[in-house]
Amino acid sequence: MNIELTDVTRTFGRNKAVDGVSLAAGPGVFGLLGPNGAGKTSLLRMLATVLPPSSGTVRLLDRDPGKPAARTEIRRRLGYLPQNLGYYPSFTVAEFVEYFALLKEMPAHQVPKAVAAAVERVDLGPRAKARLRTLSGGMLRRVGIAQAIVNGPDLLLLDEPTAGLDPEQRVAFRALIRDLGQHATVVVSTHLVEDVGTACSEVALMAEGKVVFRGTPGELAAQGEGHEVGDSPLERGYSAVLAASRKQVAA
Amino acid sequence: MTAVALTQRTARFRPARALRLEIKHSAVVWVLPVLAALFYFNAYRRAAGFPPTWTVRASVITGSNLIFFSVIAAGIAAWVATREGRRKTGDLLATTARAAWARQATVLAATAFWMVLAYLAGVAVIYLRTALQATWGGPPLWPVAVGVVGVAASCAVGFTCGTLFPGRFTAPVVAVTVFVAWFIGVAAANSVNNFTDVRNAKGTAALFVSTDGGRPQVDAGVYYRVPPDVSIAQVMFMGGVLLVMVGLLALLPAARVPGVRGLSFARRRWLTVVAAAGVACGVAASVTAFALAGTARFSAAAGWEIPALHDAADDQPVPYTLDCTGGTFTVCIHPAFEPYLGAMDAALQPAAAEIAGLPGAPVRADMITGAALPAVAGTTSVYDYSTEYEDYGGASFWATPAMARTADWEQGMQQGFITWFVSGPAEQDSASPTPAQEAVAIALLAKIGAPVPQYPQFSQPGTQSGTSSMSSGPGGSATQSTASAAQITAAARGLESLSPAARRAWLTANITALRSGAVTLTQLP
Repeated sequence: MNIELTDVTRTFGRNKAVDGVSLAAGPGVFGLLGPNGAGKTSLLRMLATVLPPSSGTVRLLDRDPGKPAARTEIRRRLGYLPQNLGYYPSFTVAEFVEYFALLKEMPAHQVPKAVAAAVERVDLGPRAKARLRTLSGGMLRRVGIAQAIVNGPDLLLLDEPTAGLDPEQRVAFRALIRDLGQHATVVVSTHLVEDVGTACSEVALMAEGKVVFRGTPGELAAQGEGHEVGDSPLERGYSAVLAASRKQVAA
Repeated sequence: MTAVALTQRTARFRPARALRLEIKHSAVVWVLPVLAALFYFNAYRRAAGFPPTWTVRASVITGSNLIFFSVIAAGIAAWVATREGRRKTGDLLATTARAAWARQATVLAATAFWMVLAYLAGVAVIYLRTALQATWGGPPLWPVAVGVVGVAASCAVGFTCGTLFPGRFTAPVVAVTVFVAWFIGVAAANSVNNFTDVRNAKGTAALFVSTDGGRPQVDAGVYYRVPPDVSIAQVMFMGGVLLVMVGLLALLPAARVPGVRGLSFARRRWLTVVAAAGVACGVAASVTAFALAGTARFSAAAGWEIPALHDAADDQPVPYTLDCTGGTFTVCIHPAFEPYLGAMDAALQPAAAEIAGLPGAPVRADMITGAALPAVAGTTSVYDYSTEYEDYGGASFWATPAMARTADWEQGMQQGFITWFVSGPAEQDSASPTPAQEAVAIALLAKIGAPVPQYPQFSQPGTQSGTSSMSSGPGGSATQSTASAAQITAAARGLESLSPAARRAWLTANITALRSGAVTLTQLP
């Protein structure tokens, strides 16, 4: 398993952002759904080794990220696209991706080829020498994806990856993560259930810091039978699970 | 990529490639024009106005040049350090394998690279110009080392502050703080807010002054080597600061997980140990340098000396051969001032002609180190080149050789020369001519068109004639000791009104007595 979480909790002051989550995932595309404040980003940041858990155990790529040497090795094999991508405006597309390839400690001789391949995979080859300040929001998102995949990660964490992409790019992106999921574990945190339906082999739905549903997209859609909120089966399943979760919490 | 291939990955990070990117996109590039302008107005013009001797010119690079470079280096480094916060890249960077301290060290190195490069470019410009003008000696390298370490340390201080306190006001606050620290340091170095009075400064103040103390004597490093004592202490002190700051960067939790202070994962133990050792070494170096500087003492010949660091070989005079010109009256100066020889000769020949043939009149003037000469009150000494320069201040004084040949400069030389001669050995030692000597000097100077020297009673109306010479002079009297400017001027006019032959005859007959202080004002014709 590339991801193994056991009863993981993360608190910020008195706020419990992640509350006793246990998950395991191997290669494939794993969708992480949930409303705002459900704890998706906190969970993703723990998976990204940015945040240590307040309690519980985290194992990534068969290593304990709490140990410095293991954490470094995990980070070499990790790709991460945060929800709000920060960037340096004066860097070109290629330089930005190269910068992260270097920080991910890729073997130096592989860097130029890997950078070119990553930039091509997000369809930014013609803009490789463009400065980031000149790019649109959608293009910047693709740059973020390129830096995340440049090292051929075993664990790829994408927080709202399709935000700002046009429909054509979203289709291409889904194809890309399906391809990456052949060998790596891809975790996609998103609000867009259609991304999950077409790209993910497995999905988890979070609410109030807990995982309230885990299964295939088909199983999530099945939860929505008879539920009226939502335009698609997946949306109805999403709404139904959340509604049931809220009732349970209220009770 | 297969898992097998991935596990075979090794950390073959090439810092040079990352550094190249950081250098290319460094924010310092944007402030280079500002640095160039500040350098031109604050350092280059100042250095160009100094006489073309290496030590004097080099004092600028560890003085005003280092101060404004330090201020900007600290400010820009603090700004750069807040980049991850400003650009919101903290999370993204925190997931990379490269340790945060190494990443930040790369950014700091790129900032320091540009600042040091800019600083060295400024040094090169000053030294190149000096090389084209100097006639003796070579470029001192210790001041360059002090400047380089100082700029790098300033970058590290600013960067660490920016990392510790990320915020939009951090950079200006750091820059202002460094400026104030320099100002306080230099003021402390000079004991009072007098940048030229470094001789009164004590001990640790030496850390804040340039190689030989604030504005150096014009002949500093000419007759004696400037000992590197203070420079060594300065490099130690600032190198220690640099080490402490870099060590802190590796130790601070905030430096590893931006935005998540105190919540970082466990750190590598060896890094903690190495960083702590670096901080300890830095503190030790700075404290040692501070303590050493506390033992510094000012030597009139060569500037500041620190006994524990001092090499006695530096106390030996530097051999030289005088450059001379002139006929019956020969003017000789140190080869370092060879460009001034013509100006010096032109200034002294008319004065020498006025006293030529009189008993005791000099037939030759040799330039010697200013530190070896007593000053003559109210005048500039002919031989004391440094006093010449300091007393004049302003552009015409701190001038290139061509600019130095001004009426004021020439008249100052003549005043000093004539006053020195008529004062005689006793008054030269006491540094105060008698009223009669002053009157004769004024009369002689009037003949060559030089104005009345700034004797005390002339520069401060109401002041009476110098009393110290009166007690030593055999002809001293109450009347002589209380002579006013008007009385002296009247006596001078009397001598001046004589025919040249009569005046010459009187001088020939009385100059020996006058020089010994035996002639009173009332005995003048």
